[in-house]
Amino acid sequence: MDSKMAYYILKRIVLAILTIWIVITVTFFVMHSVPGGPFVGEKAISKEAQAALEAKYGLDKPLMEQYFTYLHDILTKFDFGPSLKQRGRMVIDIILDGMKTSAKLGVIAACCAALVGIVLGAVAAIRRNTVLDKVIMVITTAFVSMPSFIMGSFLLIVFSVKLGLVPANGASAGGLILPVITLMLYPMSYITRLTRSSMLDVLGQDYIRTARAKGVSRVKIIFGHALKNSLIPVLTYFGPMLAYIVTGSMVVEQIFAVPGIGRQFVSSITNRDYTMIMGTTIFLAALIVIMNLITDLLYKVVDPRIDFK
Amino acid sequence: MKKLVSLMLALAMTLCLGLALAEDSSIAVCIASEPDTLDPALNSAVDGATVTAHLFTGLSNWAQDENGALQIVPAAAEALVEPVINEDGTATYTYTLKSGMLWSDGQPVKSSDFAFAWKRAASSALGADYGYMFEGVKGYPDELAVETPDDSTIVVTLNNAISYWDELLAFPAFFPVREDVVANEAWATDPSTYVCNGPYTMTGWDHNSVITLTKNPNYFDADSIKMGKIEFYLSDDANNMLANFENGSWLLIDDIPTSEMKRVSEQYPDEYVVAGQIGTYYVCWNINEEILPEGCELTGEEAEQARAEIRKAVSLLYDRNYIVEEIGQAGQVPASSFVAMGMTDADGSEFYKNAGSAADFDGYYNVSADAYEANWESAVETLKKYYTFDEATQQVTNFPSLVYLYNTSEGHKAIGEYLQSVMGAAGINMSLTNQEWNTFLNTRKQGDYSIARNGWLADYNDPICFLDMWTSGSGNNDVQFGRDANAELHMYSIDLTPYGSDLKVENGTWAETYDAAISAIKSCTDKANRYGMMHAAEDLLMSTGCITPLYFYTDPYMLSSSVHGFFANPLGYKYFMYCTVD
Repeated sequence: MDSKMAYYILKRIVLAILTIWIVITVTFFVMHSVPGGPFVGEKAISKEAQAALEAKYGLDKPLMEQYFTYLHDILTKFDFGPSLKQRGRMVIDIILDGMKTSAKLGVIAACCAALVGIVLGAVAAIRRNTVLDKVIMVITTAFVSMPSFIMGSFLLIVFSVKLGLVPANGASAGGLILPVITLMLYPMSYITRLTRSSMLDVLGQDYIRTARAKGVSRVKIIFGHALKNSLIPVLTYFGPMLAYIVTGSMVVEQIFAVPGIGRQFVSSITNRDYTMIMGTTIFLAALIVIMNLITDLLYKVVDPRIDFK
Repeated sequence: MKKLVSLMLALAMTLCLGLALAEDSSIAVCIASEPDTLDPALNSAVDGATVTAHLFTGLSNWAQDENGALQIVPAAAEALVEPVINEDGTATYTYTLKSGMLWSDGQPVKSSDFAFAWKRAASSALGADYGYMFEGVKGYPDELAVETPDDSTIVVTLNNAISYWDELLAFPAFFPVREDVVANEAWATDPSTYVCNGPYTMTGWDHNSVITLTKNPNYFDADSIKMGKIEFYLSDDANNMLANFENGSWLLIDDIPTSEMKRVSEQYPDEYVVAGQIGTYYVCWNINEEILPEGCELTGEEAEQARAEIRKAVSLLYDRNYIVEEIGQAGQVPASSFVAMGMTDADGSEFYKNAGSAADFDGYYNVSADAYEANWESAVETLKKYYTFDEATQQVTNFPSLVYLYNTSEGHKAIGEYLQSVMGAAGINMSLTNQEWNTFLNTRKQGDYSIARNGWLADYNDPICFLDMWTSGSGNNDVQFGRDANAELHMYSIDLTPYGSDLKVENGTWAETYDAAISAIKSCTDKANRYGMMHAAEDLLMSTGCITPLYFYTDPYMLSSSVHGFFANPLGYKYFMYCTVD
């Protein structure tokens, strides 16, 4: 690794920390300014009990003090505190618990989307203007324009309720099949279209023509030259794809009752579970920042001409 | 020899099969999403209560008799005793624990475990939502009069005898917990630290996914428990629940999407169950909000008298049958009183049927479909008294604009839109605004609204839990009775002298009448008098017009016809321990 790249990585890490700090600060103060609180329920608890709970969790202290205590605990002890609603559980445990499932769901969906998308895109480009190409384009257009909650409900009804092929509950064995499919269809279709157009572009380049003129085999042209070069635009999509999968998983986890982090995130906000809101927000922000960094670094691997400045 | 071997083999196989079947008796159900807690003292949700009722046993329990009727029976206690009334009017109950009861870790269950659990649940330090269930115990909240002279005796003293005390003993907050177990704050989140005394032990909790209960061999009445394993799947999506029910994965689901209600009730008539639930869906008015027309000269008590009359008139504009049949679609019952259907009166009849004083209908107004037209006309007549009325359009013209507040939900919105349309037809302009749940609760509690959606579910079968929430200082007094301007008005009257009380006030404040009546009810020990007083309190409450009941809740659920021996109590707790599955 050259010094330029090291400097670049360092710069990005500093920026990432700054971004996360801003996220923490904004979330913390916005969250506390929203009416309601973690101990507000349909049935009111007594003022004494309310005060006892607030004292227990330090919510009776001035807001600035709470803010600095929170930052201090994260920085020095990596302590995200206890959940205010799920009594007895630590935020970090809840996040790691949910993350196990969400990560599995997200990684499988992302890999499948990339793999299938690239293959379909390449096939469509090579068989340009054939029936196969048209079929792939029509299907992917449909998937790109269909929201995941409709797709998810549709798959649930057909494959789980009517045909009984797969379970409807994300927690049972084989329960992730439908959520993965629902989650991957949009990015897969997008990647297909991206790969196709990029590949068509590359296939028209002079160096491909030269290779062909020199008698290089068709397989070698496609896999050795065309595919690799046509993947750069696809790679740029990985950042947005991650963002899509993170937000999309909230909907998909809901539809299929997948015990992931997405559901936790949504319910923590409704419950005003302050520590959970902070924990999940920081976690998701960090995830996106890190993945974006990795995507940027991958550019360099695929295209050595890219210069880090 | 060969014959003998094959015979023995066949015998062994049959035995194995039999054993496997006995152990395999299991049921998968879904009643809700991940419970906030399974600590019986901290739990405040019906689903959490259902799970803890399988894990713990209090002094009493809900059970079904041979005819299927529900009753409260002794559980950990040898018997449910009558109290000894002391000279100061307090009541002392002495219970003896059944001998030989064990915790799931093998240690003996002692009376001190109960005493510890009760004191903990009631304490303000714990801040449990249901701490107030111990309100009747002497010394509440922090000095509960519970004593344990020996390991099997519990002596508890109440401020006065409570008719529903036996039922309270079956409530999760009254379940025993052990001091050394709950010293670990995370004890109730992990099967390895979850020590209980009930028919089941927790053998798995895959958070947000499934809670597994397995029959507890240490349970004193283990022989009567039929179901070997219960899996409580956790989901908060009604559509997902229905999908799992329809493909046979889950045998009971406790939530059905409103949009599917009609279809499932027709498609699965034997499996779609509408159970009663003690609760009322209602509209509440902020008593301090002005609704008289601009320029109205009435002030003080007279103005509030007029407002009460107007609010009551507006409540007659709603067709409750339309609401339950076209919007609710879950078998709800049109409500004509606040204390919900399912609450029993002193003589065992339905409390709501005896509410109000009308001879030809139950409650405070007639909710039968035939009466709707007459209701509307009488409402319009009242409105005419206070507002300018346009004969051509048959509408009032100067009713101040209202804003109806509800929490974000399609169901509440549909009801809001209906109310808006009928009020609009009478010339009352009402806009709708929705808030996210937690914000909504906050706004409503602070009285920062004019008219809002509301609902209340009972915690135990006694009308007082619908009535004591409206005292001036109550945290649930969303109407703001006895607060701000209303606190100054001397216009309420109550007479409890027919029920053996000294309370008789004419033209008093809310605190002097309603609050005093609730205190009198709480210290009354005579059942008939007590219920009479509760009717009088509800009469006063309904005379304000601030509470507009729409319907009594029901609890619709899907139960597979392959399940036998299932029952649910009126509070909505579901019991699977005596179930068998075909």
